[in-house]
Order: sequence, then structure tokens, then C-alpha cells
Amino acid sequence: MEGSYYLTTAYLGMIAGLAIWTWTVVTRSRSIELRLAAVESTVGVEASDADSLAPQSINIANQDATD
Amino acid sequence: MSTQVQEGEEGVIYMRGRVAEVLLGAGFFGIMATLFLGFHWAPSVSINAFESPAAQRIFYWHVPSAWAAFIAFGVLFVGSALWFFKRSAFGWRLHVAGTEAGLACGLMTVWSGCVWGAAEWGTPWDWTDVRLNTFGLLTLLALFLVLGRQSQPDGVETRDTFSTFGLYGFVLVPLTYMATRIWQIRHPGPVVAAGDSGGSLESSMALVLMIGALSFTLFIVGHMLISMRITQLEQRLEQVQNSLDGGI
Repeated sequence: MEGSYYLTTAYLGMIAGLAIWTWTVVTRSRSIELRLAAVESTVGVEASDADSLAPQSINIANQDATD
Repeated sequence: MSTQVQEGEEGVIYMRGRVAEVLLGAGFFGIMATLFLGFHWAPSVSINAFESPAAQRIFYWHVPSAWAAFIAFGVLFVGSALWFFKRSAFGWRLHVAGTEAGLACGLMTVWSGCVWGAAEWGTPWDWTDVRLNTFGLLTLLALFLVLGRQSQPDGVETRDTFSTFGLYGFVLVPLTYMATRIWQIRHPGPVVAAGDSGGSLESSMALVLMIGALSFTLFIVGHMLISMRITQLEQRLEQVQNSLDGGI
């Protein structure tokens, strides 16, 4: 009976641990997807344009500074 | 044409995310099935050989989670090497995924081992047992890497430091694997791939153990894919935010 107590404690602890970990990771993944989509729609560019956008933005900022 | 390529890339990232979630679901279902079979279907061990035969069924969780932890530490090693020697962004994502998965599986293994030790040995930990201590160190290494990365700004120096720990820390994996083959202190000897000493696993017990190992493998691969995707999305988000800052 004592062995069953230990077994149940271990099983419940680990199932809860697995479920919490999985829930946290999936929620974090979906939340960052939403944040990225929101930022990209605010900027008004596609996600894959992000690399080319940075140098353009810096050029515009430099031009403004010289004007 | 460029728009088609962009749509293709988005589609691949989306598909990877869904594949990871399917693997997670299948793995979780398999783990629950393993627990059920281990509890209700697998035969009991001899009452003469164990102090606590019922608690021995933790074995169906403990061994597969240790197996998954070794997969994760292997991924950590490969990722660390790819980052350190090739400066590969993919390698860094592997490193991050390997540390998180290694920590989770390491904690599950240590927890299940401690519960079984308390039932069988009367103590949850034995500081003189090599297997217990090397595996405990591996789990602490993963904890250090996860917490360290969260507390440090991302950069080449930070990645180099943590990759070095990932490379050297891997020494503990073969040491842990071989520990019970060299030093039989308290942790039971190998029952699978035991070599000449001979495994003592009955066929239905071996089947449940195999289902457990497969389920944990699916589960941990799913977790690592999701973790890699999160790192990739975070990097993209940072790029877009930097571009916004540059434009202001």
C-alpha cells in the first residue's frame, strides 16, 4: 500500500509537470506569433522583409540628419 | 515571384509548428498509455527482490525520461558545436532547445528516481552513488544554461560561453551511461543492453518500456521543434523592432 502511495505521488507530480510545461511552451509560441503578426502589420511589411527594412530605415534617418 | 517565396517560407514555418504540436500530442497520449499499461498490464516484480514492488512501476516513466534527457543532451552538444565552430544560427536554436528539453527531462528523471529511492531504499538520494550524482550534475548544468541565458543579454560572447559549457558538460553523458556498469553502488544495473551481465526484463515489461521510450522520444522532439520555432520567432521579432527603432 505504501508503494502505491509513492507511485501515485510520482505519477501525479510528473503528469502535472508535463502538462504545465507543455501548456507554457505552446502558449508562449502562440503568443509570440501574435506579437510578431501585430508588429509586422503595424510596420506594414511582410515578415521576410524585416532584414532589408533595417538598412533602409537607417538611410532615411541619416538623410533626415543631414537635411 | 518574391511574394511566392515569402508565402512559401511562412507556410514552412506554420507547418513546422503544426507538426511539432502533433508530435507533442501523440507523445503525451503515448506517455499516458505507457503509464496505464505499466500500472494495469505489466506484471508485478518479485516481492522478494524489491522492498516496494508497487513503486517499481515508476521504472516505466523513469527510464524513458532518462532516455529522452540523453537525446536532449545530445542535441545540446551538437547545437553547441555548430554554434561554436560554425557560428550557425540553427546550431544556437538547437542549443536552446536542447537545454530546455534536457532540464525538463532531467528533472522528471531525478524526481521519479527520488520517489522510487524513498520507497525502495528509504532515502531519496545517495551522495556516494556515481550514477545519481553525474546525472544530477547534468540536470544542474541544464538549469544553469537555461537560467544563465535568460539573465544575460544575447550576443556572441554569451553564446560562446554557454556553448562551451554545453560542449564540455557532455562528458557527463557517457560517464553517466557507464557509471552503473563500472561502479555498482546503489543504483540498479542495466536491464536493457546489459551485455554479458544479461538483462532481466520480461517481454511484456520490455514492450511497455519500448512504448514509453518511443512516446518520450516523440514528445521531446515535438518540444524541441517548438522551442526552436520560439527562438526563431523571437529573433524575427527583434529584427522588426530594431528596424522600427532605426526608422524613428
